[in-house]
Amino acid sequence: MDTTAIILLSLLGLLVVLILWGVGLFNRLVTLKNQVKNAWSQIDVQLQRRYDLIPNLIETVKGYMTYEKGTLESVITARNQASAARESIAKSGGTPTPEDMKTLLVAEASLKSSLPQIFALAEAYPDLKASQNMQILQEELLSTENRIAFARQGYNDQAMIYNTAQQQFPAVLLAAAFGHQHADLYEISDQEAKKPVKVAF
Amino acid sequence: MAMDFWEAQRKARSRTSLYIATFIFLTVFVAVGIEVVLRASFSDDYHTPIPLFGLIFVVITCGVAAYQYASFSIQGGAYVADSLGAQKVDLHTTDPKKMQLLNIVNEIALAAGINVPPVYVMDNSEINAFAAGTNADNMIITVTTGTLNLLNRDELQGVIAHEVGHIYNQDVKISMQLAAMVMGFYIIFIMGLRILQFAPRTNREEKGGINFFLIAIILLVAGVVTWFFGSILKACVSRQREYLADACAVQFTRNPDGILNALKKIQKSTQRHEMPKEGIAFSHLYFDDYSSFTSLFATHPSLEKRIAAIEGKTYFPTDFDKPQ
Repeated sequence: MDTTAIILLSLLGLLVVLILWGVGLFNRLVTLKNQVKNAWSQIDVQLQRRYDLIPNLIETVKGYMTYEKGTLESVITARNQASAARESIAKSGGTPTPEDMKTLLVAEASLKSSLPQIFALAEAYPDLKASQNMQILQEELLSTENRIAFARQGYNDQAMIYNTAQQQFPAVLLAAAFGHQHADLYEISDQEAKKPVKVAF
Repeated sequence: MAMDFWEAQRKARSRTSLYIATFIFLTVFVAVGIEVVLRASFSDDYHTPIPLFGLIFVVITCGVAAYQYASFSIQGGAYVADSLGAQKVDLHTTDPKKMQLLNIVNEIALAAGINVPPVYVMDNSEINAFAAGTNADNMIITVTTGTLNLLNRDELQGVIAHEVGHIYNQDVKISMQLAAMVMGFYIIFIMGLRILQFAPRTNREEKGGINFFLIAIILLVAGVVTWFFGSILKACVSRQREYLADACAVQFTRNPDGILNALKKIQKSTQRHEMPKEGIAFSHLYFDDYSSFTSLFATHPSLEKRIAAIEGKTYFPTDFDKPQ
């Protein structure tokens, strides 16, 4: 065998190794992206559950709280904004873009500051507090709150693994070309919003 | 200082491995021991190239264990709940307490990333709960009505997180496997006993006859030794898995106070012996297994030790307990 053949064969071998590595990287990133998507869908289910529960809550308290229309309206506005942000994420393919995430976080933060007010106000209405419907709604909203918190932990873990895989060398050279982008963490920066909805039993 | 639950989990896992390695070593050591003793006693007649009797010991124990374990697994978690008289909670229940229970199980299953297991409630006034089942398809969680009535939401969440921790770590499977092996050792002991009873004694004097007496004694001793130490090791593993489940409960809920207050409530409770007597075979599965056994054979660490572990302290007997 002459030298040219050896060089050609080595180049061919190198090419094969590179292609195999590229295929491996591609598949790994796809797997991770789908895991992030799945983790987000866990949050999505719970967010939707919360947005479905809030109109029920408003419906239940409306009859009692005739003087607190302002509070109820602010909750409804915040709920509608958050719900719209959630839907926009769901439509755009399952993983939130940075802009969507920001909109959602802002809407969620204002929802989280206004929703506890309803429960605080409900303290002044013994009939309302004692009604079974109200108690069930409180429990459901509290449980949903917990589920969002637990699902968020899972999502953030997955997003971190996905982001790290993209940022590592040499994956960083190809990740963008394969259509991957940074997955935003679902973090609540506002200190007030970090507090869970307080529900008194 | 709250507990470092990652470190606590790592510690409990590595101790489990150590105990299981000791368990395997014990089995092999006794099998080799049988072989050595037999070869020394029957040097004229017994010199096959393969260690026949050591292998027979291993095959019998593992065979009995496999049979025992298979019958445990087929029954599944629902069988345990049924035999303790627990009722499955209907997913569309309107009882507020049970709705809350189902919600909590859903929350924690989400936090642990496992499938939501069926939930049972048993009519009993003491605070207790258990997870049963050997694989992902037949896992269940049972709580007593006492638990539902006496604990608040956070405490109940802590208890459920502990049980989900058992499912997550496959503890029921591990303890059933060890129990099955110990059963195998027990069968060896019984075999020795039976041979001693029924073997023809005349053979003892005959030259060239098989010395059944010696074989029986060897089986008896091997059975007793493995059964005794096997039971201790099984209990050691069980206690480590309790610490592990407590640490997992803190990980899942990120709220050490929930499980901590639940344990403290049990400590103060006057009802700790209310679980049905016919359920004693399953007591190692309970959240709180109050036994009069010495701590060597106890399936659970004492409540004091568990509380200290969650608080991130080291447990000292009360005499040495310094005021904080």
